[in-house]
Amino acid sequence: MRRTLQAVPLVLCGLGLLHVSLVTDLYLRYVKEGMRPLLIATGAVLLLLGLASALLDRGANGSDGHGHSGTPGVAWLLLLPALSLLCYAPPALGAYTAARQPAKPVVHQGDFGPLPSASPLPMTLSDFTSRVREDRGQAIKGRVVRMTGFVTPGDGGEWELTRLVLNCCAADARSVKVRVHGGPVPPADTWVTVTGTWHPGGTLGTASAPVALDARTVTKVPRPTNGYQDALPPGESVAR
Amino acid sequence: MGGVVPVPERRPGPGEGNPPGGAADLHAAGLPEASVPQTPAPPPYWPLLLLGAAVLPGAVVFLVGRWGDAPAVQAWRTVCLAVTVQALPFLVLGTALSGAINAFVPESVFRRILPRRPVLAVPVAGVAGVVLPGCECASVPVAGSLISRGVTPAAAFAFLLSAPAVNPVVLTATAIAFPGNPAMVLARLLASLATAVAMGWLWLRFGRVEWLRPVARHTGHRAGHSRWDEFRRGFQHDFLHAGGFLVVGAMAAATFNVTVPGSVLDTFSASPWLSVLFLAALAVLLAVCSEADAFLAASLTGFPAVARLAFMVVGPMVDLKLIALQAGTFGRAFAVRFSAATLVVAVACSALVGGVLR
Repeated sequence: MRRTLQAVPLVLCGLGLLHVSLVTDLYLRYVKEGMRPLLIATGAVLLLLGLASALLDRGANGSDGHGHSGTPGVAWLLLLPALSLLCYAPPALGAYTAARQPAKPVVHQGDFGPLPSASPLPMTLSDFTSRVREDRGQAIKGRVVRMTGFVTPGDGGEWELTRLVLNCCAADARSVKVRVHGGPVPPADTWVTVTGTWHPGGTLGTASAPVALDARTVTKVPRPTNGYQDALPPGESVAR
Repeated sequence: MGGVVPVPERRPGPGEGNPPGGAADLHAAGLPEASVPQTPAPPPYWPLLLLGAAVLPGAVVFLVGRWGDAPAVQAWRTVCLAVTVQALPFLVLGTALSGAINAFVPESVFRRILPRRPVLAVPVAGVAGVVLPGCECASVPVAGSLISRGVTPAAAFAFLLSAPAVNPVVLTATAIAFPGNPAMVLARLLASLATAVAMGWLWLRFGRVEWLRPVARHTGHRAGHSRWDEFRRGFQHDFLHAGGFLVVGAMAAATFNVTVPGSVLDTFSASPWLSVLFLAALAVLLAVCSEADAFLAASLTGFPAVARLAFMVVGPMVDLKLIALQAGTFGRAFAVRFSAATLVVAVACSALVGGVLR
């Protein structure tokens, strides 16, 4: 790669990063919220570096005695993520990924307190899972709960209410799933809020209990800005 | 081993007319490098390059239009982009640091800090890895510039291996991921340091310089040049170079991520020996960054602690994107041998430390 052309991938990478982190929220499809300042700084540094290269290296044509002024052609590969970020950003992971992995083991730390009295009770999928699988007090029994997630169609007329949770970036997403019984299967990747009661089976409070819900209502909701976290249904901020 | 290869001044030969401005015009027209009269002879494959340049964009547009919206392709692109976006800030940090070492730090500094005898310099460099906060992408360019600044390669490799695993950010993340289990943090620290130092000594004993590609770019500060300009050029060169290989590594990791279903994670957990080997292989293939791998390890509850330790020790030292980055910086001959040896040593060290601390 000629020095005069080196500014191109630098500027495009910088612009791509600034586009997804500063101008829009697209970075939330790939990494966690906390990365934003780092991404903005990185984008700015790369943009400045590219502009400096374009301005200062204009006269130089690689024969300044360095001998190795050229960069291998592999640097052109940086154009792929840069252009992808700028104009063809792929969507967040969804049903395809969730359907291909088992649910993440949810471990509850400490004792289970009594459930708040609200009905329907807003819950996260992880909370519901640990209440069903580990709460010997069976506080969830007979309660109407409300949860939000996206749809992962299963086989046999059932589907799974799903959330993908990140540790670092989308490459390590793990899923939390609640099987939903009753009603038609909504299209894959639709975000829905479901109210319903625990679907009986096995012994509640042990690993034999199915993490499942008998749905009463299923409502479509808009996709949350940050989809990669196990949060309460939108508009709910009830203390758990 | 200064790594500085003298480059003879080029003078236009009798046959190379090289009219003033001629070369620049060709650059502006975007012709492939091969046709620029400064290079001695165009490589024989340049018509192929031209043909590729003509055919490839059309093929890509066609394929993207045809399959770009299939869920598998979208998931692949998302994961590939996620790995790249996550790594870019750390790559910029590492390459800026490597450019700064090249331009601002005189060689005498390293001679003063590191013990003269390589055998002693290796453990010192391994412990010095504590100072580079960040994940593994940052350490490869830094190690490359250390070697070119006269640091003995064995010490630079010990630093390369230990830095992503023993820095405070990663150790804190490990402590958070394994609450109430400080032995895991200690085990990770000890096993990673042991692996890094063992690999440094192994390189001293068995390593050969000819496996390393000469790093001719890092000449250090030279009289008559602006230090800031040298910094900028070194930074830019290293970033473009390492960035390209990062994309290669991210593509490989994404391919594995999408083609192998996650349910594989929960098999193999029965036998302790198999599970150690399995999680070590998984760490290589998944290429999760070292600041996050502790959380992933913590979620693999079906596996014994030794296997999860192996996952956290191997991950920052050997993985797909790291092999690609090393191949770019030090050459393929080095990357293959070094990664294979590191994998073996890392598994052995984590089995030992895990067995002792159980």
